[in-house]
Amino acid sequence: MAQDRFHRILAELSAADGAWPAARLCAVCPRVLGVNGAGIMLMSGDIPRGSLGTTDEVSQLIEDLQYTLGEGPCVDAYQQDEVVAEPDLAKPVIRRWLAFTPPALRGGARAVFAFPLRIGTVRLGALDFYRDRPGPLSDEQHADALVVASVAARWVLEAQAGAPPGTVPEELEASADFHFVVHNAAGMVSVQQDISVTDALIRLRAYAFTHDRPLTEVAQDVVDRRLRLE
Amino acid sequence: MNREADVVRSLVEMADTLVNDYDVVDLLTGLTDRCVSLLGVSAAGVMLASPAGTLGLVASSSEAMRLLELFELQAQEGPCLDAFRTGERVEHEILAAGSGRWPSFAAAALQAGFRSALALPLRLRDLTIGAMNLLSTTRTPMDEADIIVARAFADLAALSIIQHQAAAEAQRLNEQLSAALTSRVVIEQAKGIISERAGIQLDKAFSRLRVHARNNNLRLTDVAQAAIDGTLDPRAWVATQP
Repeated sequence: MAQDRFHRILAELSAADGAWPAARLCAVCPRVLGVNGAGIMLMSGDIPRGSLGTTDEVSQLIEDLQYTLGEGPCVDAYQQDEVVAEPDLAKPVIRRWLAFTPPALRGGARAVFAFPLRIGTVRLGALDFYRDRPGPLSDEQHADALVVASVAARWVLEAQAGAPPGTVPEELEASADFHFVVHNAAGMVSVQQDISVTDALIRLRAYAFTHDRPLTEVAQDVVDRRLRLE
Repeated sequence: MNREADVVRSLVEMADTLVNDYDVVDLLTGLTDRCVSLLGVSAAGVMLASPAGTLGLVASSSEAMRLLELFELQAQEGPCLDAFRTGERVEHEILAAGSGRWPSFAAAALQAGFRSALALPLRLRDLTIGAMNLLSTTRTPMDEADIIVARAFADLAALSIIQHQAAAEAQRLNEQLSAALTSRVVIEQAKGIISERAGIQLDKAFSRLRVHARNNNLRLTDVAQAAIDGTLDPRAWVATQP
């Protein structure tokens, strides 16, 4: 049974469009799992590092919000090392993600699910899905999602195995958004305000949050010298 | 004593190592001890293949066994080596000095007090990763039922070791990726700092960092970290020769 599932999903993957494995992995999710969109978040040291792929604007927003706010389904799935399900963001079973939930709902996500990307005890990030209507995943969809997450985890490690030590694999660099511009901006803000880079990152995040804008966008404005934090 | 219950408990304990973190030498020493206490053999020893494919001694139930296995490796003949090379069980053999399958090994084994031997491969499907020697101080063949239990122990041990190796590799790769991303972040932050201090574009800031690293024989990440810590020589961001 598990073997069948695995083969079926691999077949879907090889048939899916998208140049990069990460894009294909996300692309099969809507059909296989009955969701509207999917994204893969890479994490380490308990923080989001970047997005390996998203299927649409809403999943992009979900990734951006989590990157900006440091909270959300992927962050929890990674940190708690377990599947996170919120079948109705508007009437959540557990009140969590106080900053994440309102903009996610406004953006069109009604139910969100996240599955840890892991191999054994090694944790790499999380795969997340959303639906525009409330409702849980079926057992079948849940089991399929575990397979997709496991394929995604293996793909990331295989990419790393092919990269020279000390470098980010080219496949990841090409398909992922690691938000490096945020770190460029943090460096600049740290000089402008004579504070540490860590504090500069906090100020950028706070600015993005209070102005309800993606952190990456705010950072780009700082780098392009269209914005100077006061 | 209820032997069956002991065997089941041993299998469960070994299966636990599949999900928990564990030490390979510990696992295999436990395996040799169990063979002696549960299966009516006098001594047991396990050898594992190195990545290069040569066998090394990993665990023995006794010092006499350890010395004998070292001898086996040195002489390059014996039941364990045969089981590893063929990937098949080496049937019970009564040892006779100077003759039989392993003339030198038999002589050394007899001297250590052993009379018969058999060996099992440590194997997962087509992959043989090592082998286990089972020696007896009598000439009586092992019970077939005991051999089946020994095989189950050996198969579980092989499975745990292979999973352990895969997990260790995954851990290593994940740490590499994390370190690579961290070092990129440090460099990107330093680019922002230099760009602001020197009033130049990010790409220009990056090339100044690189030139400074190259001219002073420093690692780029270290130069970037110095920029963040505020300990970087200000000349690093002043335009200089390429």
